[in-house]
Formats: sequence, C-alpha cells, structure tokens
Amino acid sequence: MAVGTHGESFMETDPPASRPARPGSAGGGRAEGPAGREDSGRDLAGLARIADRIRGAVESVIEGKPKAVRLALTVLLAEGHLLIEDVPGVGKTMLAKALARSVDCSVRRVQFTPDLLPSDITGVSAYNQELREFEFKPGPVFANIVVGDEINRASPKTQSALLECMEERQVTVDGTTYALEPPFMVISTQNPVEMEGTYPLPEAQRDRFTARISMGYPSPAAELEMLDAHGGSSPLDRLTPVAHASDVRELIEVVRRQHVAASVRQYAIDLVTATRKHPELRLGASPRATLHLVRAARAYAALDERDYVLPDDVQELAVPVLAHRLLPTAEAQVERRRPEQVVAELVRRLPVPAPGK
Amino acid sequence: MRIRMTIVAAVATLACSVGLYPLFAGGRWFWTGTAAVLAAACGGLVSRRLRLPAVLDPLFGLAALLLYLTAAYAAGEAWLGFVPSPGSLSHLVDLAGDGWSAANRYAAPVPLVSGIGFLAAAGIGVVAVLVDLLAVRLRRAAPAGLPLLAMYSVPAAVRQDGVGWPAFAIGAVAFLALLMADAREQVGGWGRAVTVHRHGEELPLAGAEPPSGQRVRADGGRRAASGRRIALGSVAIAVLLPLAVPIHPRGVFGMGGGGRGRGDQTVTTPDPLVSLKRELTRLDDSVVLTYRTDDPDGPDYLRLYALDRFDGDRWTYSRLSSSAADRLSGRTLPPPPGLSIAPVHEVTTRVKVSGEVRDMTFLPVPYAPTRVSIKGDWRVHRQSLMIYSLSDSAGGRSYTVTSLRADPTAADLSAAVGYPADVVSHYTAVPKNIPPQIRALAQNVTAGAATARAQAVKLQRWFTLTGGFTYDLSTPAPQRGNDLVDFLLRSKRGYCEQFAASMALMARILGIPSRVAMGYTSGTQTQPGTWVVRSRDAHAWPELYFEGSGWVRFEPTPSGAAGQGTAVTPAYSRPADGGGRQGDDALPTPAATSGPDRSSASPQAAPHRNDTGAQNGLTPEDSGDGGWSAAPWIAGGVLVLLLLAVPMVLRALTRRRRWAVLSTPPQGRGGSSPPDVRGGVPDGVPDGGGAAHAAWREMRADALDHGLEWRPSDSPRAAARRLGELLELDEVPAEALGRIARAEELARYARTRPADPPELLRADVRTVRAAFAASVGRRARWRARVFPPSAMAQARSALRGTGLRAADLADRLNDLPNRVRRR
Repeated sequence: MAVGTHGESFMETDPPASRPARPGSAGGGRAEGPAGREDSGRDLAGLARIADRIRGAVESVIEGKPKAVRLALTVLLAEGHLLIEDVPGVGKTMLAKALARSVDCSVRRVQFTPDLLPSDITGVSAYNQELREFEFKPGPVFANIVVGDEINRASPKTQSALLECMEERQVTVDGTTYALEPPFMVISTQNPVEMEGTYPLPEAQRDRFTARISMGYPSPAAELEMLDAHGGSSPLDRLTPVAHASDVRELIEVVRRQHVAASVRQYAIDLVTATRKHPELRLGASPRATLHLVRAARAYAALDERDYVLPDDVQELAVPVLAHRLLPTAEAQVERRRPEQVVAELVRRLPVPAPGK
Repeated sequence: MRIRMTIVAAVATLACSVGLYPLFAGGRWFWTGTAAVLAAACGGLVSRRLRLPAVLDPLFGLAALLLYLTAAYAAGEAWLGFVPSPGSLSHLVDLAGDGWSAANRYAAPVPLVSGIGFLAAAGIGVVAVLVDLLAVRLRRAAPAGLPLLAMYSVPAAVRQDGVGWPAFAIGAVAFLALLMADAREQVGGWGRAVTVHRHGEELPLAGAEPPSGQRVRADGGRRAASGRRIALGSVAIAVLLPLAVPIHPRGVFGMGGGGRGRGDQTVTTPDPLVSLKRELTRLDDSVVLTYRTDDPDGPDYLRLYALDRFDGDRWTYSRLSSSAADRLSGRTLPPPPGLSIAPVHEVTTRVKVSGEVRDMTFLPVPYAPTRVSIKGDWRVHRQSLMIYSLSDSAGGRSYTVTSLRADPTAADLSAAVGYPADVVSHYTAVPKNIPPQIRALAQNVTAGAATARAQAVKLQRWFTLTGGFTYDLSTPAPQRGNDLVDFLLRSKRGYCEQFAASMALMARILGIPSRVAMGYTSGTQTQPGTWVVRSRDAHAWPELYFEGSGWVRFEPTPSGAAGQGTAVTPAYSRPADGGGRQGDDALPTPAATSGPDRSSASPQAAPHRNDTGAQNGLTPEDSGDGGWSAAPWIAGGVLVLLLLAVPMVLRALTRRRRWAVLSTPPQGRGGSSPPDVRGGVPDGVPDGGGAAHAAWREMRADALDHGLEWRPSDSPRAAARRLGELLELDEVPAEALGRIARAEELARYARTRPADPPELLRADVRTVRAAFAASVGRRARWRARVFPPSAMAQARSALRGTGLRAADLADRLNDLPNRVRRR
C-alpha cells in the first residue's frame, strides 16, 4: 500500500491560493513573478517570448530534451493533454511537474495506484454534519494542470473517470456538473505496457490525449549535467513560474487564430485517412485525432513564430499525435511493427500538398 | 488439367483462324475448324488427365483430330464411322491431294470444295494442337503465338490486301488473353504472397483523389494486371512504331516484295537464266510455240521476263507483288512506261503454246502488251508488264496479245534527255563491288559518244563487231560477277546471256537505265504470218530506257550462223542507217559531239547524265543493290535526331511558358483565402504566388534534370534543406534556394502572398541551377541539358491518362471470362 486514498499522500497540492506564498513569487508576483505581464501574448511575437520563457524554465530542469519540451509546450498551447510514456526514471514526472510549475496556475498531482477509485479523482459529496447537507469536495482534477503519475497502474474504471474531464472539461458528480477552469491540461505519465503491474489504457482514453511523447535516455553529456544540477538540491524547487494562467489563455487564443491553408488541412485528413486504410493497422486514427493534429500543428507553428501552418508541422507531429491511437494488426504485431513506424512511413510517402498542375 | 488454359488456348486458335477468311469463299470452313480445334483441345485434355509425358500431348491431340476428320470426311470408309481404317486414311490422303491441287488452281478466295474444307480443318486443327502443347502443356504462352501467326501469314502471303485489321485485332486480343491467362496461372501457382508489405502506389495516398473503383485484388491479380499492361504496351509499340519509323520501302527484313504494299506473294519460278541455258543447249529442236502476227515490220521478240536487278553476280527480277487487282481479266494493261513520243503501231499476236511445255508460268508476249486474252488466273506486273500466273501454266494454251510496238527513230532516242527519278533509282543501280576495269572499259568503249543512244549504239557495235567477241554456247552460265569480268576482258566467249548481261551492266555504269529481258526471238516463219519458236530461240537481250520511247531493245549478241540464229538487230540501233526518217545526228563519231544541240556538253561526260543529276542527287552506283537509295536513311537519321531533341525542346518550352505566364503583372490577391481545396491558387490566375510556384517548379525540374532525388513528401523547406545538405551548397546558392523555398511556402500555405518579384526569383533559379550543375558529374550535367528527365516525366504524365484507360480496358477484357461465368 503505497498510496492512501485521500489527502496529501496522493495529492501534491499546489492550490492557486497557496501559490503567492511560495518564495520568489510572493508579493510582487504579479509584477515580476510570472514575468513580463507587459508583453501580453496577444500576438505571435509575444507568444513566442512567453513560450520561450516557459521552455527555458522547463529545460533548466530537464536537460537535453528540447524536443520533448517543445512537444509538451505545444500540447499545452493546443489545449490538449499529454501522455508521457517511458521506462521509469528518465524524468517523465519531472517534465510534467516542471511544465506545471513554470506556469503560475493550480497544479494537482495524482499518483495512480490499482486501488485508486474514480471518486478519488473527481471528488466526493460528503455529508457535512454541521451544515447537515452534502458538500462537494472537489477532487484533484479541479486544477489547471493535473499531473497523473503512472496512469496505467490504475484500474480501467478509475482511468475512465478522467474521460469526461479531459474531453468535456467538466466533472459530473451525483448529478451535478462542475465546469473546469481553463486552461485545463492533464499530463499523464505511464510505463510501457509490458512493465509489471500495468493496465493498458483503453483506446477511448488514449484517444483523448493529444500527444504521447517519450523521453528517452539522456545523452551522456546531458546526464552528467543532470548529476551536477541535481547534486545539491532539486532544480524543481528552484523553479519559479514564468507565466501566468491568463497568459496561457491568451496564448491559446493566439494559437486558435493561426492560419491553416486548405491544402494543409487536406494533408492532415489524408494522413489520418491513410492510417485507417493501412493494411497493418487494425484501428486507424479517429476524426478527433485529425482535430488534435491540426490544433497541435497550429501551436507548433506558433512556437516557430509563424502565423501559418506548414506540412512540416503536421509531419513533425504526426507520430506523437497519431501513433498512440493506432492498433496494429496481429500480423504486424508478430512482425514487431510498431504504429510509430507505420506513421513515419506514411509521412515519408504521402506527398505534401502542392498547387495543382 | 489446366482446363481454363486449355479453353483460352482453343479460343485463341479459333479467333486467329478468323484471319483465314480471305482464303475461302463462304464461311463453312470456320465451323469445321471449330470442331477441329475442339477435338485437338479434348485430346490435350485427355492426355493431361492421364498425366502422360508432354511428348504424348500432341500425339493425343493429333489422334483426336484424326478421329474428327475421319468422322467428318471419311465416315463411309471408317470403322464405326469414326475409327480410321486403311480405306478411310487413303480417302483422306486423296482428299488432301484434291484440296492441294484445288488450292493451286484457284486464286483466293477458293471455293469450298471438300478437299479445301478438309485442308482448312486439318490445318487449323494442327495449329490448335501446337498451341495447346506450347501454351498449356509446356507453359510457354508467348511462343504459342508463332503457330497462330503462321495462320495469319497464309492469307497475308496469298492476298495483297492481306487480312483486314478487325480480323487481326480479334486474333491479337485472343493472343493477349492467352498471355494474360498464362501469367495469371503462373502467378497463382506461387500461392499466397509471402510478405504483406505493399507497394506505395497501392496505398490510398494519392491525396484527395482515391482511385475510383479501386478493387483489392490478390497479389497475383496485381501482377497479372501489370503483365496485361506490359502486354498491351508492347503490342501498341509493335503496331505503332513501324508506322512512325521511316523505313526503306523494301522493308526492314527484305519483305514487302517490290516495295508496293504489304502482303505480296513472291512468285517462285525456276531461275530464268538457268532455264535459258538449258533450253539453248537442248538437243531436240522442240517447238515451244507458234504464233500468227499482223505486224507488217515482222514480229518482235517475245519476252518472258524482265530482269531489273543486278546483285553483283547475276541478273534477277525483283520479287513480284501480286494481288487480285493485277489480274488481266480482259482489261487493258497499264501503259508502257516512258512511251510517249515515239511512233507506235498496234500489233495483234495469236499465240499457241505447245502442249509439251511445262511450268511456263510467264507468258511470252511481244513488248509492250496492252491487252492479253487468256483463260486462267494470269496477272500483270505493272512496272515491267510481265504476264505471269501464280497457279497456271501456259502449256497447251492459246491466247491473243495486243501490243504496242514502238518504232523510235534514232533521232527520237538521241533527243531523249533525262529520266524519271524512280527509273533512275531502280534501273541504274550498280553494286559497289563492280571492278574498276569494267567501269573504265565502259567509258573507253563509249568514248566520244555524247548521247545515251550513241553510247548504247557504240556498246552494241563493240559487242557485235569491233570487240572481238565470239558466240559460244559451251561456256558455262555466268555464276559470279567475276565470270562477267572474265567474259568482257579476257575470254570474250559467251552466248546471249553474257552479252545481254554485260551490255545492260555497262549501260548502267554509263548511267543509262537498263534491264535484261528474256524470252524468245521471233523464231522462224513457216508460212506467211505464221511463225514457229523453238527452244533454241530462247534468248536474252538488254532493254534500255529512253524517255519518250520507253524500254527499247538492243541486240549485242552476234546473230546469224555464228551467233544466235534468229536474233535481229533493231533498226534504230544500227549506227549507219538512221531510221530513214531523219538524219542521224547521233553518229558515234567524235565529230558528232560538235553538233549544235550538244555544244554545251563536254565530250568526256555524257550530257544525259548531267541531265539526270537534278533528279538523281544520289549516285545510284554507290548503292548496294537495285533500288537502294540513301535518302530515306538520311531522312530517318534526321528524324531520329529530331526525336532526340524533343525532350530538350520540350524542356525549353516549358521553361519559357512558366515565366511567360508571369509577364502579366500580378494582381494583388493577398489575404484572400484560396477557394479551392487542393491547389491553394486557382489555375491561370496570376497572383503573388504565381512567380513563387513557377520558380519552385523550375527549380524542381532542374533538380530532377540533374538526377537529384526529389521526394514528394518533402515540403518546400524540407526539400531545400535536404538539397542544400546533399550538395553542400555554398552560401549564395543556398540562400537563393532558401528564398525560392520560402516564397513557395508562403504562396502555398500562408495567408499572405510572397512579395518577391519574379525577376529576383528567376535569378535565384538560375543561381541554383548553376549550383546543381556544378555539384553533379559531367554525365548528369549533359543529361540535364540534352535529355532532361523532367521533360520525360512531363510526357509520361501526359501519356499516363491514356495508359490508364488502356489498362482499364485490359482489366475489363481480362474480367470478361469471370463475368461470363458468373452469369
């Protein structure tokens, strides 16, 4: 029994209210903490500046993984949810927490265990003896960023409790629906399904994650650097928020306005359609995947300070956004073909949209 | 068992047998042929069912065929009506003999007498057995086309018009079906495809245009489909390419007879020169023919052959083309070539050929026949007016010939200048290997002669009088060119053949169109108006061509007792008499060259040769054999060069067009989102993106031209990055490349259009092209210039539409059996 059912044992609470009390962002937090309120993220340049700051903050904790960091940031700006899958100890949770901390917003962390119940996530209605009425005690899901650690250790029932929150951004408990405050992002980590004591995420659950990334082992140099950085104290502790939740909301607005040419939209559709017809795939990507792909491509282009989406963006994102939703056929599994390979091959083969003639 | 293949093979044989239709009158043969094919197929099936060795396959087929033929044609003599007995077999043999003689007797279409029907059924059946063996048992569908083709060759050989294209198309389609079925069976035999890896084109990756009606086939089906496409393509190439390539009229493989149409039959007769010698030396003085003539001047020679080709060793006639259109059938013959000015008179000759004469397939007629009345299938060769038959012999026949006899005066001949080009090209061709002594001799003998006629007269005079020749029948017939050299320079002994051949050859050397005629002299008069021609009157003589007079006979062979007994020298060829009508201005004396009408001519070079120069720009003496001319080859070479230049020109045109579109000033369309789903920019509307697209396409074409890899999945910036890294471009071209890519990227995907002016982009493209050229090898560089692959790709994509349609058609054809079966 590693984790209790309630309380701080599975929740590392960072309620917004407690936030200003943290060192470095206290008092003048508004002025200086989530720095640069003056350059609002309402335009592309502002977005890039803020994004750069977040990226810098995260990378101060996670060395040598710029791509993973960028993808995480992309998912944040695309209003998506992120699944980080890798073997234990490569910094999945670290990335999730670093991203959560660099933005000044409410962060909750849930450690998933096999005996975790759905109500442990969404919250419960408890009878208040004094008031003689039922009182809703919000679960950890009521936060801007929810870090779900080792999500595939929980039973499917609990996993699916996240379904409604993730897609509809609301929680229904005892017939009452509670809306979640934007930005809302679930960052989950999971071990590869082959590991012991894991329940594979159901397809429906996986489909709700915008992207799945894996950290990979750091390079020797990065690992050495990490040893130095983590020698004294955790760099996570030194991390201060560099952006505010409202900044993120504005950034999301900017991303929504990104231009996606018709041909690029078509390209995304072609790509997704190709996964559905691929002979090695039992299950192709859903229309939701198309939506996520284009959204993520918008954010990805915005991080590049571009106000239009390129097929390159779609190509870059195809594997993280699509691969975790696909189910290979039995033959492909026997041949050890992974969906990542299939998607990469499709990207290599699908012609980019070009003007006619 | 391979029932499916058996059926397809049988159907292919049947379909090809349709091509035999020009041979027969009526259509009954087809049904007997169908039954024969069925019998052969059944025989093959039975042998395969019993799993007998392949050797027995055709035996079974033939046995089944024999059973059928016996039942159909010799049921009376056979046991049980179909088991062959000695009687039925001999009956069949008789039937075959009848059919054979009938086939030789009648020209196509042959009436369907029973022998003919039997032969047709047997022939089709044998072809069916062969096809069955090759295609079904030995699994060699392609060689099975040979027996099928053999079937086509029969009507093609007999009839000039050959086989109509629909019949050929039916056969070709059937053969294709055979190939396809074979490919399908072979691939099917491999079993299930081992790998599930699929090729790129099978994925629905074509973007927004998934191929309509795309069916998922087994792997074998796809292979069969590609096989069909290949087959279709090769047939198309085989049929169309010869039409497009300029080939010598004689045909690539020496086929095509006299270069007049296809489907000619080559008339095979015993070598005329051999038979001449034989006839001349026959001891018995047998009568060949007798004739009556109303010619007041005394009869002319009777000509059998006109030998128009000298191959370096001997004279032969060009292969004759023959068609039903050449039949005499009481019609007036074509006018004699070249005869226009010289006075003529009409002569009627009634000829009775002796019944003992065998194999006389050419009619002895006085030149130039205008009308011949004779029974049987006799035909005329339009150029030489030879009368011949493919099936009949003149032995024992009587016929009437109306002929035009030209009486050219010496003046007519002397005045003749110039020749038609076709006559020159055909009748003055001399092989290159003629020894220079003969050339020199021809010049020496005719030295001082100014006109063709004077030269001819001098030659004739030299042969008969001054040259010191002796008529000698004992000399062997000339077999090689050296024999002629020996005759002319050393032995000077020979008979008419040597004389005629030599004079004709020397005339050609001098540029006078000539040929060797063979036939009979006038013979001897037995009673007034009646003449007898015996075998010793067989003769050969040269005919020379004079414009206005046509082909004119000369007589270089000594006549009289010491020569050819009945040979007669024509009046116009005698130097002294001059024909009596006008003064002979062509006396072969050196003084004659000072005549006023030839004042401009040099004494050494004959003026008529100069006259022909304009029409005959290529010296016929350089040619290898008769009628050869270099012009088609030069034209062909030029055409090949032009074809080779097509990609280059195409590329240049494309480049021009791309930039020319931009010369119209761009209209500001920035900000408006493209209405089309795919393109981004609607076609034909120049806007800011036009220049970018043009530059990008140009750059892509250049990259392809230089053999650089271009991935369709690369976006502009990815392509530019890859090319830059691949070629390790310097800063300037790398920047130019980046600019082009960025402009294209903006034009394609951004809200705003790129603002780069076309001139700048054009300069960038040029920079990049130079960089490409500098970074690839010399070969790639030249290929990019001369044979740009991008132009080829362009042409390919243009052809692809056609190809797809054709492939679709082939698919449907292949599906036909399935569809029929389903019903």
